[in-house]
Amino acid sequence: MSAISHDDEAVVIVGSGAGGGTLAYELTKRGIPVVVLEAGPHLTNDDYTNDEWEAFGQMAWPSDRTDSGSWKVAQDFPNLPAWIVKAVGGTTTHWSGATPRFKAHEFKARTAYGHIDGASLLDWPIDLADIAPWYDEAEKAMGSTHRHGRKPLPANNNYKVFANGAERVGYKHYATGPYATNAEEYDGRPASIQDGFNFQGDKNTSKWSTLVREIPRAQETGLLDLRPDSHVAQITHDSHGRVDAVLYLDKSGALHRQRAKLVAVAGNSIETARLLLLSASALFPDGLANSSGQVGRNYTRHLTGSVYAQFEDEVRMYRGETMAGIIADESRHDTGRGFSGGYYMETISLGPAFLAKFLTPGSWGRDFTSFIDGYARTAGMWIVGEDLPQETNRVTLNPAALDEHGLPVAHVHYDDHPNDKAMREYAYAHAENLYDAVGATRTWRTPPYPSTHNMGTARMSARPEDGVVDAWGRSHDVPNLFVSDGSVFTTSAAANPTLTIVALAIRQADYIAAQLKSGGI
Amino acid sequence: MSDPTALDPVALDPVALDPVALDPVALDPVALDPVALRKLARVIRAVFPHDGIPDAPYLRSAEALRDQAAATSPRRAAVVAEGLRSLQQLTGGDVEAIDVDALSGILRHLEQTEFFQAVLTSSVVSFYSDPEVWQHLGYEGPSFEKGGYVNRGFDDLDWLPEPRIEEYAGDDEFVEYVPPVPGLQVSFDTTKKVAQI
Repeated sequence: MSAISHDDEAVVIVGSGAGGGTLAYELTKRGIPVVVLEAGPHLTNDDYTNDEWEAFGQMAWPSDRTDSGSWKVAQDFPNLPAWIVKAVGGTTTHWSGATPRFKAHEFKARTAYGHIDGASLLDWPIDLADIAPWYDEAEKAMGSTHRHGRKPLPANNNYKVFANGAERVGYKHYATGPYATNAEEYDGRPASIQDGFNFQGDKNTSKWSTLVREIPRAQETGLLDLRPDSHVAQITHDSHGRVDAVLYLDKSGALHRQRAKLVAVAGNSIETARLLLLSASALFPDGLANSSGQVGRNYTRHLTGSVYAQFEDEVRMYRGETMAGIIADESRHDTGRGFSGGYYMETISLGPAFLAKFLTPGSWGRDFTSFIDGYARTAGMWIVGEDLPQETNRVTLNPAALDEHGLPVAHVHYDDHPNDKAMREYAYAHAENLYDAVGATRTWRTPPYPSTHNMGTARMSARPEDGVVDAWGRSHDVPNLFVSDGSVFTTSAAANPTLTIVALAIRQADYIAAQLKSGGI
Repeated sequence: MSDPTALDPVALDPVALDPVALDPVALDPVALDPVALRKLARVIRAVFPHDGIPDAPYLRSAEALRDQAAATSPRRAAVVAEGLRSLQQLTGGDVEAIDVDALSGILRHLEQTEFFQAVLTSSVVSFYSDPEVWQHLGYEGPSFEKGGYVNRGFDDLDWLPEPRIEEYAGDDEFVEYVPPVPGLQVSFDTTKKVAQI
């Protein structure tokens, strides 16, 4: 590994997850040295544990955030708006693995859906054709099943219930993927052993993450200087308004300054917005890259919900890949259903510890325990759909709550849009129909978990006044500042975001490399 | 200056605080003794009643609650101990003497109290992370060391037909987009053009 001096004007990437980890590898691959500053520790697959709460304590970004708004998460988890990872590899170490692409119309949501009261819909400055070749690259990198010759995963028990239900209610577009976990050995990593642990980190390395692929490969180039336990507190700039360094805190709390010729921020949507806001200065009093006032706004987190169903016979949903089951039939846009946008249904499984905590947070008593008693006979699905951006759904700084470094924590405000509520109700009912069709004796509607998908707080826009970055993720205001994670999503689309984050990061690396070469930065 | 023991609930004579004076030992708010722990376990059973699960995991959850409360603050420890004491009074002297469902009914009225929330938030984690509880529920716990489930029944469900795992390859084309206004044509062509209405 190459050590880059603090005084070198380096390419600095903040974060090592889907966006940052991918960008780091793609740049080093092109011969460009980079410094990656990761706030969390460098855990490896051997460190992971097959225990839900232990793993949560080990991997999750600790609950130093606050939230508000009418969304149920604010009531159920007032200090845990999001469930994301603070470690090398970021949230790719905890993600489930589903890799559907966005659809053409989802890049043009404002045009496609028209004006919707309360929503700050905007068309992306790119379309599906721009990103399609990068989707190919991303799917190959991640080993998405059902794509580019990758074998599908077999049906596990939870999928058997899910797919049979789908067939009986007339859905056609169901399958065990696309899903970025190996069904057979691929890219130097083994096939899944169906151990059922996924949100806890995959000890077997069958699941794609930047921890098992991009980070080690970037290290092999000799051009990566990876610094774990390095929390970036501020991005600084020169008198011309170009970023010139980052200030970061190491494990001991000591402050360091790394000079930079280019900074790419990929801290996941909440922390990315927080860092830009924390970097306010005399020149940029509202925060860095925020002349539009859009930093932190239009936060989307996907409409979510789960339905768990019980049957007379055993299911044992916890055996096997957690989310290797996807139904796409409802992902279309058809306002005949009473809402704009669409959603996917995806298998999900929780162990008893998390099911008890999340089934309906705070619930207890006989009604609750009688459902938990049926654990072995339970199947589950997650509903993930497009939520509409709203200017007031927003990440801000909370000066009344400080983290361990004394920095104001992120405050997340989110109100459900009426469209989100209508979609969720529809989705719950159709999930129940599906399970009823295969003989469910009881179903349970589970409210949203803390957000695992976080998007939109530094959105791409064609015009500088509408967003934070351009079509390449380059700040409209600051020419050598990039955003490289889901923050750039102009709208959320229905699909799980990781594939799109990776595709955009590969595309961005290509752009940055060309710009560095031509002197365009 | 002020007497520090005045702020310490441990130092208060339990008998003096408790007109019923049922079990003075159980009233020590910090060092909940075995009898008090048993009663706390009974409360946890009333919160999460599983008739088939023996007392041992409930008792371990009571111990976990005591330890967490003590580790949090003396005040938190007192909340648990005093909450139990006051519940004992409310239930006529002994939470173990009344029916679990009746005790649940009483707890329903106390849902918003700090005591109840302390019991609930601690035990939902400790109780359902207990391997003996997992065993009762039919959950097999850690699996990686056993080679996962790939050869141990990940696909052993046999009461439904084997479903298709491949993506749909039939004739019905998936219609991704239906224009919001009937009759309106919107195209999102694959060229560089922005969608046109």
